[in-house]
This record gives sequence, C-alpha cells and structure tokens, in this order.
Amino acid sequence: MTVVFVLLPLVVVLAAAFVAMFIWATRDGQFDDVRTPQLRILFEEDPVTQAEAPLRGGSGEKERS
Amino acid sequence: MGTGLSHRGEGKTQTLCAHCGLPVPGSLVQPEGTPSFCCSGCKTVYGVIRSAGFDRFYDLKAVDDERVDVPANPKLVTFAEFDDPDFLEMHTRVVDGARRIDLYLEGVHCAACVWLVEKLPEMLDGVVSVRLDFGRAVATVLYDPNVVALSKVARALDRVGYTPHPFRSSDRRDLARKQERKLLIRLGVAGAAAGNVMLIAVAMYAGADEDPTVASLFRWVSLLITLPAVLWSGRTFFSGAWAGLRAKSLHMDLPVSLALVGATGSSIAHTVMGQGHVYFDSVAMFLFLLLAARWAQLRALRTASDASELLFSLAPSKARLLSDDGVSREVPVDSVVVGQRVEVRSGESVPVDGVVEQGQSRVDNSLLTGESVPVSVGEGAEVHAGASNVSARLIVRVTATGENTRVGRLVAAVEEAQRRKAPIVRLADRVASVFVFVVLLLSGLTAFVWWGDGSEVVVERVVAMLVVTCPCALGMATPLALINALGSAARNGIFVKGADTVEALARLRHVVLDKTGTLTQGKVSLTSFEGGDGLLEAVAALEAQSSHLIAHALEASAPAGAAERHRVEDVEEVAGGGLRGTVDGRRMVLGTVAFLRGSGVEVGPEWLDRSSRAAERGDTPVLVAADGAVSGLATFGDPLREDSLRAVGALRRMGMTLGVLSGDHPAVVARVAESLGMAKDEVRGGVSPEGKLAAVEQMAAQGREAAMIGDGVNDAGALAAARVGIAVRGGAEISLATADVFLTRPGVMPAVHLVRGCRATLRLVYRNLGISLVYNALGASLALAGYIDPLVAAVLMPISSLTVVLSSALARPFPLQEGPSRLVAGVAREREVPA
Repeated sequence: MTVVFVLLPLVVVLAAAFVAMFIWATRDGQFDDVRTPQLRILFEEDPVTQAEAPLRGGSGEKERS
Repeated sequence: MGTGLSHRGEGKTQTLCAHCGLPVPGSLVQPEGTPSFCCSGCKTVYGVIRSAGFDRFYDLKAVDDERVDVPANPKLVTFAEFDDPDFLEMHTRVVDGARRIDLYLEGVHCAACVWLVEKLPEMLDGVVSVRLDFGRAVATVLYDPNVVALSKVARALDRVGYTPHPFRSSDRRDLARKQERKLLIRLGVAGAAAGNVMLIAVAMYAGADEDPTVASLFRWVSLLITLPAVLWSGRTFFSGAWAGLRAKSLHMDLPVSLALVGATGSSIAHTVMGQGHVYFDSVAMFLFLLLAARWAQLRALRTASDASELLFSLAPSKARLLSDDGVSREVPVDSVVVGQRVEVRSGESVPVDGVVEQGQSRVDNSLLTGESVPVSVGEGAEVHAGASNVSARLIVRVTATGENTRVGRLVAAVEEAQRRKAPIVRLADRVASVFVFVVLLLSGLTAFVWWGDGSEVVVERVVAMLVVTCPCALGMATPLALINALGSAARNGIFVKGADTVEALARLRHVVLDKTGTLTQGKVSLTSFEGGDGLLEAVAALEAQSSHLIAHALEASAPAGAAERHRVEDVEEVAGGGLRGTVDGRRMVLGTVAFLRGSGVEVGPEWLDRSSRAAERGDTPVLVAADGAVSGLATFGDPLREDSLRAVGALRRMGMTLGVLSGDHPAVVARVAESLGMAKDEVRGGVSPEGKLAAVEQMAAQGREAAMIGDGVNDAGALAAARVGIAVRGGAEISLATADVFLTRPGVMPAVHLVRGCRATLRLVYRNLGISLVYNALGASLALAGYIDPLVAAVLMPISSLTVVLSSALARPFPLQEGPSRLVAGVAREREVPA
C-alpha cells in the first residue's frame, strides 16, 4: 500500500495539469462557439499538396485571438 | 422582408428556387434546364457564387437536413460608411498589423453558409481570415487595411447574400464573454475536484482507510483538492447568499452556502483531528451539480439575448451629407448635426428627423406608426428617422439626430418602460425563501435536540440535516426544466430571453395583438381582380406610370414586363381619385366610383354593389373602365396571414382574452378584427406608438397584465411595457430588442405554441418542486430523529436530484408540430371515438 504515497501526489499533480490546460483552453476561447466546429467537419477540401497548404487561409484552424 | 413574392402552394409540381429552395412564383418559372429563382436577390447571389467557382455551396446545402429556407436579400449598397475613420475606431481592433471586426450577418442559416463565408479570403485579396460563429451568425473578420478597404469586404459579403452589420457595443460583448468563460472555468474546477475526490472516496469506502496512515493521507489529499474548489468555484454561492442577506432576504444560495461551509468546515476539523467523518466527496459533487445547472441556464439564455443586440446593428448607420456645392458623401449618422442637409435616395431609409427641402416622394412610416399605406411628402413636410423613402430622391434639412429623433425618443421611452416594469418574483424564489426559513429552523431544532450529546454529534446532525434538505430540486430541477423548455422552443424558432418569461407567460390571461405585419402580411397587395389577364396587364402598364402605391402592388402581381409591351400615352393622375390614360389606343380610366363618373363613365348597379362589398371587407376597390364602359374591378388590401384565424381561435380556447392595438385606420382595424371573429374584443385603431405603451400600462394598472405580440418599432414601447413582449419576425427586427420573446417564424401561430409550452413547463416545475419537497420532508424528519448521518445524507441527496433531473429531461414541453408522437396521439383519439 505504500505505493499510494507516491502515486496519489503524482495523480494530484497530473489532475492539476489537466485543470490548468482546461483553464487555458477556456480563456483561449475554444469553448465560446461549440456549434460551428461540428459543421466545419463537412468542409473537407480536395486533397491539398504540401506546397499549396500554407497559402490556404481561413479554412484551417489558423488564427483565433 | 424579402423581395420575393409570397405565393405558395399552388399547382402540383412546384419549381424550387435554385439558390434558396423556396417555391418559385409562376411568373418567374424558367424553362426546363435553366435555373429559376424566387426573387432577384437569389438570382444575384447565385450568379456571384457560380462565377467565383463555389458551386460546392449547393452540395453542402443538401447535406444539412435541419435547414430553414431563406431567400437571399442582398442590399447592393456601397457600405461607404464602413471606411469612415470614426467607424473604424469604434468597431475594429488592430491585431498584429491587421484589423479585426465582428460583423453580424443576415441570412446565415445552414452549414453551407459557414463554408461560403469562410471562403471569403479566396474571393478577396487582403482578407486574412474569416471565422463564423454559426449559432450567433457573427463573423470575425481579420483583414489587412493596406490591401483592402472594409467597405469592399462588406460588399463582398453582401453580394453572396449575407448583409453585414457592425456590432455597436463590442465592449459589452467582450464583458459577457469573459463572464461566461469564468463560470465555465469554475464549473471545470469543481468537476475535476468532484471526480478526483470521488475516486479517493470510493477507495476509502472499500476499506482503504483501515490503515490509519493511508486514511490520513487520503483525507489530506481530499482536503487539498476540495478546498480550492469550494473557495473559488463556490464563491458564486457565497456572494449570492451575502447579497441576499444584505438585502434582508433569504436567498436560495444561503442554505447552499451553509451546507458547503458546514460540511467543509467539519470535514477539515475531522481531518486535522484525525477522527470522525469527512464529506469532501459530497461537497465537491454537490458544488459541481449546482454549477452545471447554472452554466447550462446561462448558455441557453445567451442566444436570445444576443439577438437583442441587433437593435443597434440594424439601425441606419449612415447618412448622405450634402455639402453647399451639392456634392453628397456618405458619413456615419452620428456625425450629422442639426441644420445640415442630407440626401435620401429612393429605397433608402431616412437617417434623421427633418423637413423636406426639395423633392416629391412617398415615405413608408409602417415601422414607426404601423400604417400599411405610405404617405406622400413634398417640400416642407416632416419626415422621421426610420421611415423608408419609397419612390423618389429627397433633400432633407436635419432637425434632430440620434436620441432626439422621434425613434430615439421612443427608444428612450422603451428603456424607461423596461425600468418601471416590476421584477417578477419567481415561483422558485418565493418557494425558496420559505424553504430556506424552514431549513434553518429545522437545523436549529436539530442542534437543540442533540445539544446534550456534545458538539461533535451536534455538528454531524446539523450537517446531515443541511445536506439531506439541500435545495437541489430548487437549485437544479427548476433551471433544468426551464432550459429544456427554452432549448426545445429555440428548435421551434422561438427565442426566449429570460427564464422568468416562461412563468409569466404561463399565467397570463390577456393577449394584445398588433395588426399590421402581425395578423396581416404588412404590405399592400392585389387581393382580387375581375376582368381577365389581358385587362390586368393593361391596367398594370398604365399604373406603372404612376407613383401611387397601388402601382407597386400591381407590379408584384401582374405578368412581368407588362409595361414594356404596351404603349401608354396621355397619363393624367388625380390625387385621391384615380388615373386616366390611353393604353394601346384604348381610353382607360382607373379609380373610385366618383372619379369614373367624373370622367364620363356610366357605373352600373352591379359594379357599384361589387365595389361596396369589397370596401366592406376592408379592401380598397379600384374600378377599371375601358373605352367608356366599366370592365373590371381590382381590390387592394393588406391580406391576413394564413394562420391568423387558427391562431386567434387557439388562443381563445386557451382561455385568453384578446385585444388589438393598431396604428392603422380604425375602420380597417375593425374589419380585420371582425374577419377574425374578434368583433366583441377590445379592438382599437389609430393608436400612436406612445398610445400603445399607455394602453398596455393602463391594462396592467387595472390588474390585467397582458402579453403583447407585435412587430414594428411602433410596438416597441408596448412590447417593453407588457408583462411579456413577443416580437414577430417578418416586419421590423428592430422591435425584438425590447421584447422578451423573439419569434423567427412570421405570424401568431408560434406564439400559441409558446404559450402552450410555457404552461406545460410550469406544470413540470410544480411537479419537480412537489417531488423534492416530499423527499426533503422525509429526509428532514429522519435526520432530526438522528437516523441519518452525513454519509447517508450525501448518498440520498443525489438520488433526489436524479429523480427531478430525469423528470425534467424526459418532459417535452414543446412537441414538434408534425412529430410522430402527435400523429400517434391523434390516431389513438380517433379510435376512442367510435367505441
């Protein structure tokens, strides 16, 4: 049972890390709009070559402020 | 207000618009193989989309099965005011050298819209990115001001069918967003704490705490996890309870706070002492569930309150300022001052109050007064902001701008009325204050009963009492029932802005209706024509020379291109009488009976009879004479909406008393009311916007609080003053800001569904309160007797919550109108009858 003395604090730290990630994601605005992303999945483009890809703005997950 | 015609449902095989999918009126149907359109707006947009190579838009549209068909309605204006430095200062932010603006887009309704709008960077150089929030129809555009002007961005959006409007108060939106994020973080922290503490608690219940060192570790770790959640996430409840106490009322947050503080406090004490029970798991779970309910409620209400921001977005934002040398330029309306001259072109709305200095035209005041008929204005006539200029260019000397205009004063009156409106004491709050009092009393009683057994036992019993009587049903079940109702209402196109509206609406017994645009379609059109298609075409050709509004109504109903196919000469118009002229060599006279007689036409008794019958119906009759003999009769009116009669009947069956308040002519209003079987109800015509507000307030003062259903700016005051204001889409979206409810489908029928749903919801709330009160009474008596320790209480508490949550979630307050369940119920009823 002594292993819990190591594991439990570790788990707490891990949980705290996830909470921190959640807080960051929320502040970043990733939960502001939960309706549009489910539609965007429909907009799959024709296969884009690597060279072209950076030129295509707007439809990827670029820019959120 | 679409530019399309609204004939629907004639003919078996209908041609559908190639852009929006709505039926195409017969006169616009193109031969097989050529796309047909319901209106010129859709045609324009279709052309732009095709030429940009975005045909995939139409494939995507087909994917979305929940779509609502909306005809495209591009404004095709320059948006020059978007480039004004003041405008940019107010609405845009500089982000890494580019500028960012939030634009509300009209006409966003399906997945394909998101795709098309986000394709904008490919259409226009200098647009860096566009992200569209589908739920709110708000696009965040990032563009490079050195490459492309904002007006050009706006024009591009407009030409693919999404007319953009700037948000006037981006600061307030930022604030709301920040609040929402904060609550979500609180919820997340509470949820993470609840989940982790629960895992530890399960291990302890399973016997891990037999070893005292391990038990101590588990307790301290639980304490470490729970404490920040209670202190930070739980602050909402502490501040609510404190605010309630300061206002000398027992808020529902008070027992929640007491339970939180008591349970956490005693758990901490037990942890430090190393003996006794700890309840960290129930504390964290309790907190999480309550916050979850709160957050869900906030989210459900947001959609509707966002819609109200539109008032500011849709108000005219620009004016054409005339300089002394007669050159006009577009400026933001805020920069116009009294004494300057502005130009108002045909089809534009008047941006300011003023006096006409030059020009002859007709203006449509229906937004302001509810009159369905545009009035003629000439030099020296007063025009008001918000009216739209129908026929010709006007030069207007400004007498008032902004808040000093008639509309501005009306908006101020609306705000005043909203402030005066007494805050509704919600059922849950009323029950809560009694409930809180009882809980506190019981806790005191428990402490008294167990006083002799030492402080240890007293704390344990009191906490058990607080936890088992936790007002979860009040805290969660009521919001959940409301969210469920609001959510299904929104799916039916009904947006309710406040949860208290549901309760208010379920109790109301009086409904006041607006006429123009609510009961009727809100525009003059040809209601009947006797005399054949050939004659109609000739009449249309002649009327095309006139600027009278009947000409516009005819233009919409007559075969396209009538004016070009006929030779029209010698047109003479007599104000208030009619029109004379020669069409293809035939001498034609149109107008009133007196005018025809005055022009030497014999009007027989048969036509006289028909004409007076039309007038009795509330229509305007226009007799048609060709070559000296009466040969036809056209009638014009503002036709009733198809579902008005049904809706009025349904409201009455629900026990509502009805009334009509309209700005239109009393005689017309009376006839409309009569045709709806409302002759005995309180029907008033010729009421000014201020009069409507006063009438509704007077009703409230007499103890007859009413729901007001209306659409125009002229209803805004009444909508605000009414217990519940219901704005109907189809006329002015401007009134929705003041309304409590916003219907996206035109007509009164959605309001009927709304009232029905609200009543069902209130019954559900009562049921939930009943369940939880019985449950709590049982729990409280057991706790008082000492049969329940805090652990058992913590187990029982979620069971009661689960019961009410299930009861809320399974209810369907707004059944879909054509849903299968309704069909089955109908069949079942039919079977019962013969037996």
